[in-house]
Parts: sequence; structure tokens; C-alpha cells
Amino acid sequence: MAIRVNPKLIEDLSRFGAEDVHMCYHCGDCSAVCIHSDEMFRFPRKSTRLLQMGLERKLETSLEPWLCYYCGQCSEQCPREAAPGETMMSIRRWLIARYDLTGIAGLFFRSKVAEILAIIIVALLTGIFFLYYGFTFGNIKIYDGPNAFLESSFIHKFDLILGSVLGIFLLINALRMWYLIMVKGNIIPTPWWLYIKQIYLLPWHFFSQKRYAKCESTNSNNVHMPWLVHLGLMIGYVLMLILVMVFLPALQQGPEIQWSVHIFGYLASIGLIGGSVYFIYSRRKKQQIQYQKSHSTDWVFIILLGIIIITGVTQHILHRSGLFEAANIVYVVHLMSVVPWLFRMPFSKWAHLIYRPLAMYFAAIWAEAFELQNYPQNVIPITQT
Amino acid sequence: MKSCRIGVYICMCGTNIAKIVDVEAVRDFVSGLPNVILTRTYKYMCSNPGQEMIVQDIKENNLDRIVVAACSPRMHERTFRNALKTAGLNQYLFEMANIREQCSWVHDDPEMATEKAKALTKAAIKRVALHESLENMSVDMDPRTLVIGGGIAGLTAALELADAGHQVVLVEKKEQLGGNIARVDLTAPYLNSARDLLTERITRVKTNKNIEIFLESKVTDIKGYLGNFTATVQFPNKKMKDGKDNAIRQVGNVIVCTGYKEFDASRITHYGYGKLPNVITSFEFEKMIRNGRIETKEGRVPQFAAIIHCVGSRSKEFHAYCSRVCCMTALKYTHEIKSANPQCYVSDLYIDMHAFGKGHEDFYTHTSEVKTLFLMYEKNDRPVIRRAGPKDDCEMLIEVNEKLSGELIEIPADLVILMVGMEAREDSPEIARLVNISQDKDGWFMESHPKLDPVATTTDGIYIAGTCAAPKDIPDTVAQARAASARILAKISKGKIDVDAVYSEVNENLCCGCRICNNLCPYSAIEYDPIKFQSHVISALCKACGVCVASCPSAAIKGRHFMDNQLIAEVEGVL
Repeated sequence: MAIRVNPKLIEDLSRFGAEDVHMCYHCGDCSAVCIHSDEMFRFPRKSTRLLQMGLERKLETSLEPWLCYYCGQCSEQCPREAAPGETMMSIRRWLIARYDLTGIAGLFFRSKVAEILAIIIVALLTGIFFLYYGFTFGNIKIYDGPNAFLESSFIHKFDLILGSVLGIFLLINALRMWYLIMVKGNIIPTPWWLYIKQIYLLPWHFFSQKRYAKCESTNSNNVHMPWLVHLGLMIGYVLMLILVMVFLPALQQGPEIQWSVHIFGYLASIGLIGGSVYFIYSRRKKQQIQYQKSHSTDWVFIILLGIIIITGVTQHILHRSGLFEAANIVYVVHLMSVVPWLFRMPFSKWAHLIYRPLAMYFAAIWAEAFELQNYPQNVIPITQT
Repeated sequence: MKSCRIGVYICMCGTNIAKIVDVEAVRDFVSGLPNVILTRTYKYMCSNPGQEMIVQDIKENNLDRIVVAACSPRMHERTFRNALKTAGLNQYLFEMANIREQCSWVHDDPEMATEKAKALTKAAIKRVALHESLENMSVDMDPRTLVIGGGIAGLTAALELADAGHQVVLVEKKEQLGGNIARVDLTAPYLNSARDLLTERITRVKTNKNIEIFLESKVTDIKGYLGNFTATVQFPNKKMKDGKDNAIRQVGNVIVCTGYKEFDASRITHYGYGKLPNVITSFEFEKMIRNGRIETKEGRVPQFAAIIHCVGSRSKEFHAYCSRVCCMTALKYTHEIKSANPQCYVSDLYIDMHAFGKGHEDFYTHTSEVKTLFLMYEKNDRPVIRRAGPKDDCEMLIEVNEKLSGELIEIPADLVILMVGMEAREDSPEIARLVNISQDKDGWFMESHPKLDPVATTTDGIYIAGTCAAPKDIPDTVAQARAASARILAKISKGKIDVDAVYSEVNENLCCGCRICNNLCPYSAIEYDPIKFQSHVISALCKACGVCVASCPSAAIKGRHFMDNQLIAEVEGVL
């Protein structure tokens, strides 16, 4: 049976940033230059073609977009300036919207107004809630201890609840990704034990991002070391998340500083500051091809992160300087930016934190399943639709 | 045997000949033959010193025949004949023995090759002894030209010749000038108006006093030869003042610019042309644009348009050749559809995108910029068009095995444009017979040489230009029309035409008028005189192929320079 094309797909994807897809005339140079493109997963040309033709189902069940790290090599040598790297990036954004059942991600990617409005509303609600709570149950002049304006055990509880909600969202999205790729898009039987055999790949790729490092070896501009910078940002990020989620009461135990705990906080802050300064600088300078085009969601992410870092650091300094009243106010502002930012997580590019390791995991399972079936890797059987 | 003084020169051609053929042995062998006065070997006979050597020897030794054993006469016969002329000797008192292409290049046994070279050289010596002095003829050149076809090629050629001050007879079959371009709206890739291109030409042609235009007319007969043709033009729908429906014109040259016809799309059943109302040909679409509105038969603005390339072209079933203009025309349609309705989803189904000309690649890139979906299909796996169901939001669905993705897909379409290819006209065999030129396997008129002589034909004085020779675009057509005119102008400016002295002659005393040779002559060079009951060779048309000589039952025809005794002597020499 012939697959019906979706003529609107390419138009829709342009709102996710894929503006030059139609320029591609399929010379295949991009796939040839890509270090990650192999016998089994060929891209970016294949993904570009699916998008051009509007084969929505094929595209939403494809794994290839997640195997690309956007080093920019393909776009650099594209003879028709079709920006294959940016196309892959846009497909990833679109996939994030696809994996998300609520439709929020799609709304944010398609409309920056909706995203900014949502952030402002969540920020205001957060602000009102914490001010109300603080003034009712706490004292604005006290930062630490049981009578604090925002008591640490309360914030901790709040964090855990928010974290769990986000975790559930992420889990549902991850399940949806699994369903699309491994069930709907699957073409060969995949034994269950392969899932167990390859499970080590999840933490391995999550923490090492080793595949990203491969891009650096081919990048003409490798002084920028995108892998290291990305890894620094990611570790700072995860560390900070763990600190806040697990060790918040310890961090806010009292006025006397606990270096054993705070040293991690400082390290995480350095990672976050370094990473975000690098990204803002690159996106402004536009020297590297992967930073030449920024989607509105990219800027929202960086700006919110910037506010979080600034307010977080300011609050810490004020706290340590004994200006508790000011520290409490900045703390509320900090929370006003942290909550929308966290709330945005499962619906934004940020979610690739989960999707990428999952994609590597699925890719490895597939590759092995193929081997078991004795298919030559370059012959992918025709899908039954 | 007549006594004469022969000079024989054996060329080494660098080492081309000398490395296999022992040239000294050949020289020793021929120097003992009767009538041979002088023999020489030389490194390069065709070089200036080589030619000067011949001139010098003729003068000093009173030579009256020359044999050069070297390369093929196709290569250097003219060179050596000129040397003879310089020395004051008749150029036909010369013969070449080909000991390069026929000996050293094709044999690897030096001994045998040398023997063969000896035989060939001996044959040439035996033959040259019987050569006669022949003089070239010259005939008058009529400066008037007949142009058949009033399309862009015919108009351009006519103007070119008329502007140079010569009379032109322009014959057009239709009631209007303009040809196929009159049916086109814009031209690719610069989107110039075809009408503008034409109006300027037509106005100039119509107002030019040197051009006589016959509309709704056909050339029914052409007699004569280069420089002196008599053409009969018939116009059945009109009458001249004297009541005649034909006119006879004397011309010196003829340019055939009869153009092409489009492929009949209903021959390909996959596309449902003729059955599905909104499947139209490119020319029907041109008409639609010229009427100013792109719409379906039901009068709706199409939301999905599809363009299918290579309809009738590049397939074994229909025509194997590429029609050359359809790719760019298809891109032009995309632009026209997109500029009328930017929301329209245009898909372009092609086999290969041929963007070979000036500005074409840019045009292709630009078409991608306006968001066209390009789909590649396999030559032997044509798309299939079918009517869409009631639930679909489109008129038709096209199923295509898309080559770049390997997917079998279905695309929506409200309007399908078939890019019909070019085809030789159905009356082209008639024209070919009329002017005595050949057609290739696809029916296109054949040029004298596809690369070096593209507008001349094998018949002197008959030229071809434009799409009657092969599919081509407007710039190429115009270039050919101008090239043909330039060739004719060069001939006219010479005034006289040299006719090679080598041709057949009928001995009128022996000819019994059987007319066997009349039909055999591939150049229509033999006339029959019904009063004398005798055939006569028009020497200007004769190419000296010798068919008539061989066919004559009364041995009444002699081929000059190929006389029986010359050929027999040559054969004896080889044996």
C-alpha cells in the first residue's frame, strides 16, 4: 500500500525551525560527511527526505534524529544551503512535541507568545503562593531555621512534589517514545532480554555522552570543544538538581556554612555559569553553524537559566552577608524563575536529557535484533503499513 | 602502358609507420618498378619541408605523376594535391597509398606489414600511371533562398538573409507565422514573454521587402542542385491574380525549419489523459496561462498541482531521447502556479533533472526556494494517476515509487500537467524526400556531421535548423538558424560554386534510357530526358559513389577518376 503524504508537514516543521528543507536535492554529501551515519542509520539525507515528502508516520517513528549531535559538518558543506543540521534539530523539536501527549510542548514550540505567557502565569502564581505562605507561616527577617520566611523542609517537600510530577511526565513521554520507535516503527521481532542486556547503555550514555565526543574529532572548529562544554553544563545541571532535590535541608541548615555540602553547590554553579555564558556567547556570535539559527525556545531556556543563576548566586551572597530580608525576596524571585523553568522541562528541548540515552539504547537493541535475524544491516525490510 | 615519370614518396610518420613497416625495403622494392623515376623516404611528408620536397622534385626531375605512401587520403590527400598544384601539375595526377591505418597501425608482424605496404604502394603506382588531368567545374549561385517553416528558426533565418540584402521565399503551412512558440506564454529560465520575442520577428519579417511570405502553403516540389533549385509552392486555399494555385521560385539554397510536434499523451495509459478531465498537457496549460487563470475543469483554483516530466521521452516504449526543454518548462510552470497561488502544493515528478543550459541551474535552485516537492521516479516505473475517493480533499491521487526514499507514496493532485516531449512531425518523411535528405531512427533530419557540420545536410544547398533536426530550446534553434544563414551568405558572396571534378558521366550514345540508375542514385543526381529517352547526370549533385556505374546494363556510365582501367590496374598492383 502506498503511504499517503502529508502536504502540511513541511509547513508545520518550519515553525520548529526547519526553514530550508525544501532546498535539498539529495546529493547525499551530508550523510557521507556525518561520522555517526552508518549502515543501519543513515542521516541526515533520509530524515530530510521523509520530511520533504511529508511521511509523518515514518518520521515520528524514526530514531535517526536522536543520533545526531549537530556538529554542523553537514550544513557546512551542503552545496545547496539546505541546512541539514538545522533540519535534524527541528525534527528533534518536533519529536519532543510528538512524544508529549499533553500537547504543551507542541504549543510552546509553535508559539513563543504562548510559551512566554505560560511562563509569566506560572511565575506569578509561584510568587503569590510563596509570598502568601511566607507571610502567613514565616518571618521575612529570618532566612534559616524553623521560623524562616521559606522554611527549608517546606521547600524540600515542594521540590519533591514538583519533581515527582515532572518525573511522571517524563516517564510518560519516554514510554511514548518507546512505543513509537520500538512498537509502531519496529520492523523485526525484538526479544525482551535484549532490553536487559543493553540496559547499561542508559547510564553510560547519560553520564559520558561519549558519542558526542566523536563529533569533535571531525569538527574543523574543535577548539570550542562542544562535547566538553555540553558535558560540563549537563553535570552542573544534574548535580544542582540532586543537591536541591535531596540535600536542600542540609544546604539550608543554618547560618554557619557547611563546606562539605556547599563545595558541590559551587562546583555546580561554575558548571552552569560556564555553560550558559558559552551558549549565550555562541548564539550571539553565530560563528559556529549549530548556533547560527536559534529557535525562540532556545532563548527562553537560556534567559530563564540566566535569571536562575543570577538570583541563586545573589540570594546566596545576601544570605551569607546577613541581609536576610533581601535574601528572602531574591529567594522568591529565584523560585519564580525556577518553577516555570522546571515546569517547562518535559515540554522542551531539555527533555533530550532522557531521549538521547534512550535512543542509543534502542539503537543498540535494534542493531542486535537485526543481527539475530541475520539481516544484512544495510537492507532494512519494507514496513508493513 | 603509357610512359610517364612517377615520383614515389614513403612517409615514416615519425615512428608511426617506420616502427612496423621497413620503409627502406618498400623504397627499394618500388624503385625498380616501371615508370618510377624517383623514390624517397621522409620522416613527415605532410610537413612543409616534405611538401616542398615534392614541389622541388617535380620541377627538377620533370615528374608528371606523384604517389605518396603515408596515411589515409581522408587525412592528407588535399595537402598533397595542393603541393601538386603549387608545382603546376594537375591535382588529380596523384595517388595515396595508405600504409599507416591499413598497415602499421593494424599489424604487429613487421615482415608481413612491409609486404602489404609494398603491395599497396605498387597498386598506387600502377593506378596513377593511368590517371588523367581533370578540371573542376564551377556553377552559378542563385542568391535567393527558400525557407520552409515560419517558426522562430524560419523567421530568424529569413531575417538574417533578407537583412543582408538577399531575396527570401518563406513558406508556412499554417495560416499564421510563429510556429510552436506562438503557443507558449513565458520562456524559461528568465521568464521572458515568448509573444514579445515573436512579435518583433514577425513584424520585421512582414515589413521586409526582401521576404516573400506564402501562408497556408506547401512546397510540393524541388528540382535542381546547389545554387540552382526550382521550387514549386502550392497554396490550395488561395489563388493568385492569374488564377493559379501555385508559384514557381528559383532559389540557390534551401533551409528546412519545419519544427516538431508534441507527443500524444493519451498513448501512455498510466496517466489517464483524455479520461481524467484535469490531466492536461503542457500546451494546454500554456493556453490556460495565456487565458490568465489557472483552474480545474470545474473552475476551481487547484490546491494541489502535480507536474510529470518525460511524458513520451526517455523511455524505450516511446522515444529514447531527451526532449531537452521540458525540465525547464516544468520549473517555469511551478513558478507560474506559485506566483498565482503561493499556497498551492506543487509536486514535480521527474526522472532526472536536466538543467544543462545557461541560467538553468540557478532556475532549478530558485524553484526549490519557492517550496516545490521534487519526487524522483524510475524510468520504467511510471507514476499512476487515479481519481480520488469522496473522502479525499483532492481530485486525484498519484501513486509513485519514489526513488530517493525508496517509498511507495501517494500524493494529492487537483491538476496534473504532463510534460509532453517533442516528436518528429508526421510529414517529415515527405519533406525529407522533397529535399533529398535523410532521417535518423527517430525521424529527425540528419546533419552532415553531428559535431562539425550541424546545419548542413548530405545534399549540397539544403540546410536544416531548429527542432526538425533534434529537440532543442530557443537559443539553440536561433543559433542554428543564424548558422545556416551564415553558411548560405558565405556561398552567395563567392558567387560561383566549385564542383569537384570527380563525378559520373553518361555516354549518351550508349544510354538506352532504361532508367535503372534514376532510382538507384542516392543523391537524386540523375535526370531523365523524356524527349531523348536518355538519362543525364547533374554533375553538381553527383558525389561519385559509383552506384550508377555499377548498375548500368549497357556500361554507358563512367565514373571520372574511377575508370575501369584505373581500378583494374590498381587491383593488379595489389596482386
